[in-house]
Amino acid sequence: MKTLLQFLIYMLLAVVAIVMGVILGDYGSWYFAWFVGTAMIVLVAAAGGAWMDAHDGTVDESEPAGH
Amino acid sequence: MIDSTVVELSRWQFAVTALYHYLFVPLTLGLSFFIAAVETVYVTTGKAIYREMAEFWAKLFVVNMALGIATGLTMEFEFGTNWSFYSGFVGDIFGAPLAIEGLMAFFMESTFVGLMIFGWKRLSKVQHLLVTYLVAFGTNLSALWILIANSFMQDPVGAKFNPVTMRMELDSFSSLIFSHDAQAKFVHTSIAGYVTAAIFVTGISAYYMYRNRHMAMARRSFRMAALFGVLATAGVITLGDALGFVGGQAQPSKLAAMEAMWQTEPAPAAFNVIAWPSQDQKRNLFEVQVPYVLTPLLTHTMTQEIPGVDWIEADAAKRIANGIPAVAALKVLSKDPTNVDALAQFNSHQKDLGYGFLVKRYAPDQDVEKATPADIQKAANDAVPNVFAMFWSFRVMVGLGLAMLAYFVLAVIFSVRNDVENRKWFLRLAPWMIPIPFIANEFGWLTAEIGRQPWTVYGLLPTWMSASSHSVGYMVFSLIGFVTLYTVFIVIEMTLMVKFIRKGPSSHGHGDHAPPRPALGGRAAAVAMMRKED
Repeated sequence: MKTLLQFLIYMLLAVVAIVMGVILGDYGSWYFAWFVGTAMIVLVAAAGGAWMDAHDGTVDESEPAGH
Repeated sequence: MIDSTVVELSRWQFAVTALYHYLFVPLTLGLSFFIAAVETVYVTTGKAIYREMAEFWAKLFVVNMALGIATGLTMEFEFGTNWSFYSGFVGDIFGAPLAIEGLMAFFMESTFVGLMIFGWKRLSKVQHLLVTYLVAFGTNLSALWILIANSFMQDPVGAKFNPVTMRMELDSFSSLIFSHDAQAKFVHTSIAGYVTAAIFVTGISAYYMYRNRHMAMARRSFRMAALFGVLATAGVITLGDALGFVGGQAQPSKLAAMEAMWQTEPAPAAFNVIAWPSQDQKRNLFEVQVPYVLTPLLTHTMTQEIPGVDWIEADAAKRIANGIPAVAALKVLSKDPTNVDALAQFNSHQKDLGYGFLVKRYAPDQDVEKATPADIQKAANDAVPNVFAMFWSFRVMVGLGLAMLAYFVLAVIFSVRNDVENRKWFLRLAPWMIPIPFIANEFGWLTAEIGRQPWTVYGLLPTWMSASSHSVGYMVFSLIGFVTLYTVFIVIEMTLMVKFIRKGPSSHGHGDHAPPRPALGGRAAAVAMMRKED
């Protein structure tokens, strides 16, 4: 039941996102670009932080000592 | 007629308060989303350092936001006190977005900022993250509604003039909010705020790294802000191009002044890289041109002609002549709203009503029907904004924008290579970059607003008609008062910012001096330091 509810909520969110995308794409293309662009900028910046911790840590482990 | 000195002082007062206010706004717009990005990493990785980073940057955000609100409130009152004719004329349209801004965005922003600051112990991680995103969206939605109102002044769509009520009335709300100018301007302005925040964060982080303090926070903040900034700067430049394209269609006089283009040239026109425009002589006393570049840059074609100042003035003279019967009809309708002949005359000339108003100040007894061809020519010359101010404001903004792009590209390269700490020159440069986006933002506004002159509402309402009839003494006194008060606000902001920056993050890395720096390019050593700090 919980899985079904989650599925329905995510489906609803997807439908809302698609409808908003269509409306904004037609009438407010730059507003739509702002939504997408802001999401991208925030997520890339966040990924940069996570990358600094995760990726560099992996490299450290894989590199020989004294490098 | 309102004393021209009072009109000029009213313009100065609004310009001064807007420019002061706009020192605070962009940082608020950008820092809110940067904090959201930091907190996103905190929620996804669970690392405490990101929460401390979010709390530290949020502290600076709140100081800036509080002073931004304080300086912004007076401007809303200025519309009524200093621009009463304007407020009466377009209040039905202009008031709606301002009211929505207050009711929706401002309340949302102010409510959730409290939860963001004081809710760390009361909300779950995810709930707090949601609150932070709501603050960021609320902040930017505030800007959206203000910019929709401003865009109506630049490109008045979605409204029509009612000759019975003698006011502009809202015709289409969707046209107002989806106007091309509003869209491009909002995105350009909002993302310029992201650039401002990114330079602010990299500058302070570099300051810490140079002094070997708060290294864990500084390295992470620098990396995140560099990525945040490089993408945002690319976005600002893209949207600047879009705004030039959209604005050029709606406001050809702004475009001609911005490019110091005195004569209409056959396409493709040359681009003035630098020039020394003379408004009196209607030519550039000195210019360096790149041939064929301006037309594709502004029109995205090679064939579309760009109107020069000569065309703008000739077109304005024609429109003034056509607008005079509309103003004359309006005079009759003000006494007898049922006069059918006057209404018919008004309807056939109403598209140039604003241009008819433009000649009123030069016409004998302010009676436009008595205006001579010489009066019409004087008014037509007024239709061109200050070319020198426009040309150089625009170039300062663009030049600084390109410099910031170069800065962020270097910041990303150095940060990704874990090499930024070894670039002492870059660490020294970064804090000095902090004023650059603020200056670019101010020159952007000057370009937008000087370029709208001589109108408060482009093509509809001349600036000289829009002001209130105060005394010169009142205007001088209140101008001095605002300058003094706002200077105090700036000093308070700077003092608090410097105090909090010197203090650094509250718990983590309290004066956390890092171990000796790794050798140039020693990524493994840098990683080891990060781990030790964590």
